[in-house]
Amino acid sequence: MAEEESQFEEFEQIDFLRDRHVRFFQRTLQVLPERYASLETTRLTIIFFALSGLDVLDALDVIDRNLMIEWIYSLQVLPTEDQSNLSRCGFRGSSHIGVPYSTQGPGVLHPYDSGHVAMTYTGLCSLLILGDDLSRVNKQACLAGLRALQLEDGSFYAVPEGSENDIRFIYCAASICYMLDDWSGMDIQKAIEYIRGSLSYDNGFGQGAGRESHGGWTYCAIASLCLMGRLEEALSQRELDRIRRWCIMRQQNGFHGRPNKPVDTCYSFWVGATLELLEVFQYTNFDKNRSFILSTQDRLVGGFAKWPDSHPDPLHAYLGLCGLSLIGEPNLRKVHAALNITQRAFQHLQQLQQTWRDSTGSCSRQH
Amino acid sequence: MSGVEETLNESVDVKEDKEFDVEADEHAGEDYFVDPTRYLFYRDRKEWADLEPVPQDDGPNPVVKIAYSEKFADVYDYFRALLKNDERSERAFALTADAIELNAANYTVWHYRRVLLQALSKDLREEMRYITAIIEEQPKNYQVWHHRRMVVEWLNDASEELEFIADILSQDAKNYHAWQHRQWVIQEYKLWDNELEFVESLLEDDVRNNSAWNQRHFVISHTTGFADAAIVEREIQYCLNQIRKAPHNESAWNYLKGMLQDRGLSSQPGLLERVLELKQTHCSPYLLAFLFDCYEDALENSNQKENAAEEEQKENLKRALEICELLAHEKDTIRKEYWLFLGRSLKNKFGSSGPSDEPPLEPSAPAPQPQEMS
Repeated sequence: MAEEESQFEEFEQIDFLRDRHVRFFQRTLQVLPERYASLETTRLTIIFFALSGLDVLDALDVIDRNLMIEWIYSLQVLPTEDQSNLSRCGFRGSSHIGVPYSTQGPGVLHPYDSGHVAMTYTGLCSLLILGDDLSRVNKQACLAGLRALQLEDGSFYAVPEGSENDIRFIYCAASICYMLDDWSGMDIQKAIEYIRGSLSYDNGFGQGAGRESHGGWTYCAIASLCLMGRLEEALSQRELDRIRRWCIMRQQNGFHGRPNKPVDTCYSFWVGATLELLEVFQYTNFDKNRSFILSTQDRLVGGFAKWPDSHPDPLHAYLGLCGLSLIGEPNLRKVHAALNITQRAFQHLQQLQQTWRDSTGSCSRQH
Repeated sequence: MSGVEETLNESVDVKEDKEFDVEADEHAGEDYFVDPTRYLFYRDRKEWADLEPVPQDDGPNPVVKIAYSEKFADVYDYFRALLKNDERSERAFALTADAIELNAANYTVWHYRRVLLQALSKDLREEMRYITAIIEEQPKNYQVWHHRRMVVEWLNDASEELEFIADILSQDAKNYHAWQHRQWVIQEYKLWDNELEFVESLLEDDVRNNSAWNQRHFVISHTTGFADAAIVEREIQYCLNQIRKAPHNESAWNYLKGMLQDRGLSSQPGLLERVLELKQTHCSPYLLAFLFDCYEDALENSNQKENAAEEEQKENLKRALEICELLAHEKDTIRKEYWLFLGRSLKNKFGSSGPSDEPPLEPSAPAPQPQEMS
């Protein structure tokens, strides 16, 4: 494609503006205006995007880890004295229910207080990123809360009160079990059946059986199977090759999430990471992917947007960075493709899990 | 995901509700009267005086704190108070509408509203009208669609659904929530009869609508199925017609391949010839990939037949490899490394020229040319 810009402009446009992104995430962690109200119940996921983003940028030194850790623990739904709320335990997305701030137990009984599977998942990730040892996580309560969310068909609700149920929450559940090193939180076999049932005729995965295949749900499917260690058990070589084809066809310059849809920065991670897990990411075009991601970089406020000349947001800022990390952008930490945290945070997790196993003398399910 | 828009450097702008600005009241000099249409904070409403509002408590060091206006905080402080007492009342129900208007993504508000709908035996038809209006405004929100599904289930009446969803799709023909809800309604209430017709009208509007192609597969697989040869032939015909109209359409090719891949692409009589014919005038990367898959399938299946013609095998391999080269170097260059990798794998598997000096065929082996970073 013939470029009419000067060489200098072209260089500017592909320049990765690290410091702007650091400041973008710093501001995200502070105060947001009211127009972000729809993010209230998912604030913990926003923290995760910002913290993991700073981790990928190797810039966690700009925040106060201990303050963050305390705030995250205040979101844990702990068992009450009589343990009657075990099936509702986990982490909240925020303080919106109105439970008084507390970082320790016992839990307070409240008719509407319960965890949310995506918040438990991002809460645990965030604690790991901050270097916490998870010693204040009530693991058994989290796992009890998780079990209460799985349906007969293998999928999960987000909350015990009920919600939509689909493959996203299987991914959250698998991540939680993986991090806590305890698969008693879910029925793996049923989850695999739901995942297999979500495989579309065109060899991508939809949100459930019959639904249109989509890059995000394909990531949830493949990453879940990888975390469970069941990828090659659940899918035949022929199926895996077909899935590879569906995924690799998503690249247009950047990636889109569905055939005939526009490309969007976040799919550079969702589809890119899936291709990485399927060991064929190396066959994608790194150059065009990079150019697209950087075209969505906001040069003024930092962060990335879904499209060029659009407003940046924490999700696209984080996943844009992860997309760049996958192609080996210099000075970005490597990301663990299935767990979606840096390799550094992952190593911290591995060390933690080793100490858990050592202290119990075997691969045990006890805390 | 709702956008975190514009610079976060803006100072927080707390706007008071204009109607509550007494100074602007042009009747300030007259005897004071209460205008019932003026917005009153809950804390100033007599009928709420018995309830102690519950503020949000983020502790000493809040993170990602959203700076709410006084009006917003007031509504939600009272929402939290209601929740704490699990109050089941008309006033609580009315408040949920205010809370939803301020943040329709708060799933707790929706859940509480459903509790009240049942506890107070509210008119569910009216609730359908309410949720219809909300979805029209915010069609990409998970909570509103889930709420609608619950109300439809309670009413056990899906009679409005197909028309409603069609209306939402007329605004965004690929809205994933809308399609999901549509599939649920059709499957749950057995509303298959006119769906193929609906799909075809959408494909008339936009033959590249991947959601509509997916729906086509959904309908047929749950009604006639794809086992019947006449159905398969009809669908092949349909695909090829759409491809003639718009050759560069991955959705049509995915549908064609998806329908046939498990019985073997090479097993469909005459298909290869028809595609080769199309190649002359309506070529695309998808057509070429389909041809590759046909040849690969022929190679796979011939392997199992004892009397497989060796010549035919060699021909199929040659053609498949030619297609890889064509795609890699000319027709689908963005996937160059992938097509070259597929070519190598195929050659290793079916080539008769003995051990190859090509790199091993495990996918994790590095590509021959390292990626160049600009």
